[in-house]
Amino acid sequence: MILKVKDLHKIYKNGMHALKGINFEVEKGEFLVIIGLSGSGKSTLLRCINRLIEPTAGTVEFLGKDITHVTGEELRKVKTQIGMVFQHFNLIKRHSVLKNVISGKLGQLKTFNSIIGNFSEELYEEAYRSLDTVGIREKADERADSLSGGQQQRVAIARSLMQSPKLLLADEPVASLDPATSNSVMQFFEKVNKEFGTTVICNLHFLSLVRRYATRVIALKAGEIIYEGEPKKIDEEWFKTIYGDEAEEVEIR
Amino acid sequence: MRTTSEINQSPLDIIRQNKEIERRANFIKAIFLDIFFVFYSVIVVQRAIYYKFILDLRDIPFSWGSILLVFVIPAVVSVCWTFTRTSISCKLFGIAKDNKVTKWTVEIFGWFLLNITFIAGWIITKLSIVDLFSSEGLQGAERLFSSLFRPEFGIFDDALFAMIETIYIALLATLISIPITLLLSFFTARNLMKSNKITFVIYYVLRVFLNFIRSIEPLIWAIIFSVWVGIGPFAGMIALLVHTIASNAKLYSEAIEGIEEGPVEAITATGANKVQVVWYAVVPQIVLPFLSFTIYRWDINVRMATIIGLVGGGGIGTMLMQYQGLARWHEVGLIVLMIALVVWVMDYVSAKIREAIY
Ligand SMILES: Nc1ncnc2c1ncn2[C@@H]1O[C@H](COP(=O)(O)OP(=O)(O)OP(=O)(O)O)[C@@H](O)[C@H]1O
Ligand SMILES: [Mg+2]
Repeated sequence: MILKVKDLHKIYKNGMHALKGINFEVEKGEFLVIIGLSGSGKSTLLRCINRLIEPTAGTVEFLGKDITHVTGEELRKVKTQIGMVFQHFNLIKRHSVLKNVISGKLGQLKTFNSIIGNFSEELYEEAYRSLDTVGIREKADERADSLSGGQQQRVAIARSLMQSPKLLLADEPVASLDPATSNSVMQFFEKVNKEFGTTVICNLHFLSLVRRYATRVIALKAGEIIYEGEPKKIDEEWFKTIYGDEAEEVEIR
Repeated sequence: MRTTSEINQSPLDIIRQNKEIERRANFIKAIFLDIFFVFYSVIVVQRAIYYKFILDLRDIPFSWGSILLVFVIPAVVSVCWTFTRTSISCKLFGIAKDNKVTKWTVEIFGWFLLNITFIAGWIITKLSIVDLFSSEGLQGAERLFSSLFRPEFGIFDDALFAMIETIYIALLATLISIPITLLLSFFTARNLMKSNKITFVIYYVLRVFLNFIRSIEPLIWAIIFSVWVGIGPFAGMIALLVHTIASNAKLYSEAIEGIEEGPVEAITATGANKVQVVWYAVVPQIVLPFLSFTIYRWDINVRMATIIGLVGGGGIGTMLMQYQGLARWHEVGLIVLMIALVVWVMDYVSAKIREAIY
């Protein structure tokens, strides 16, 4: 088991109770997808897992170790093992693609070397290999913000691959991309999952993507898990429970 | 571990408590603000309008009666007013009763405050259209302007040298300020410092300190430093430097506070340490604004350096002072001309550079 979340609560400073006792486990090699309406707490959950924000109560176990209260150097060690990809890519716009990819390795580099930009040959090679994995080696020297959205997200995936992550978190990675590009970006997550055996936890909005890529699904509603199981079993009725009676499924291919 | 129900209740309680605390705090603030408003209007009406203007007194008489009139009665009246929840401050803090009386008092008292402020301002600055257009005054002005427009080129060499001194004072102050400001700006950026109690205290102390320094005009700093290190260009440079650091640190740190959080989050998530996060996710986002502020500041500093010269900060300002003291208006004319030219060129160049880097 790679991840175990127990009775997790998150209350924001303004009193918003975003997570209300979340329990689930993730096995190594799974492709877990989290679905739910906007505001149901999907992003909050992912950020609690890699401690970008602090859970209010409950525990997160990663590789059999309770990481809920680790701090400092130890916390950074944990973070280096968990990759994260965001909806808005979050690349450094003015840096080259290559430098963006290399920045995924910062947690394992000496501060001084990373600041003067003294990187080893092997590191450059590793960065090029990551770019190969997502198929955009030829863009290495271009400025990150000159790339299209889909390409930028692939760079972001390459950046997280530099961490050789045990676990890859993705917060709506295709929500600002068009349907065709969405599919191609999702294929890279699938590739990472299958080829490197990296466990993936991904927030998604489109059920067609969920059915295609997920090995298991968790549905959140108002901070609670209301469904957990195989993607195939989400029928009309479940769909209405998750997204409300008004909702209707939109098909994207 | 807390139970779910405890967690479920506490947020609501916290919100309710916060509301109550806020309401009380607002009420206390309203009391003080009302007292201020009433004192202000009584003092303005009594001192500026009644004594100075109507009675035209030079020295204001002291009497216990007037103390009672000015302080005690207004204080009592204003506190009562606040308690009725119809006062202007209650309205400002959103705790006023929503009725006609409130609307009425707010409107009338608001107008009253505005008008007496204007009238008192008029009286205090002795606005006088008559003086501005008196024939004697106009003649003086004419004499002065006609000399200004016939500048004396005999002192051109001296003036040029003084001008260069001024530009260098400004340049040096700007250049030296850059590394110091850079360092300070990271420690005064809220988003970088708020996460931890110790850093937050550093942030707070630095902010207050810099605000204090910035609130003192460069002119005053020049006076202070000309006493400290002696009259001359060095005093002027130090004065500008101090003020530049304080104001640019604020601009820089605001630029840092306005950056996109996304890249910061992404780099933090890779397990990078704080220094790496700043270098990789913050710095690239602020290079351009920093450069732009700094160039703009050099432009401002050239203008300030001239002014500072007037109080002994060296350069063209000091020279202007000397000739002005001797009433040699032709020489003054040349100096003013040169200042205008340099300021205009600096303005133009700095605008062009700033356009180019964006
Ligand atoms: N920093 C914050 N401070 C206060 N409340 C927050 C904060 N971040 C999120 N919330 C609130 O917590 C709830 C859950 O937010 P979250 O971002 O996790 O939802 P989400 O499922 O990711 O939604 P979306 O699909 O819109 O991204 C929302 O009601 C949101 O308003
Ligand atoms: Mg979200």
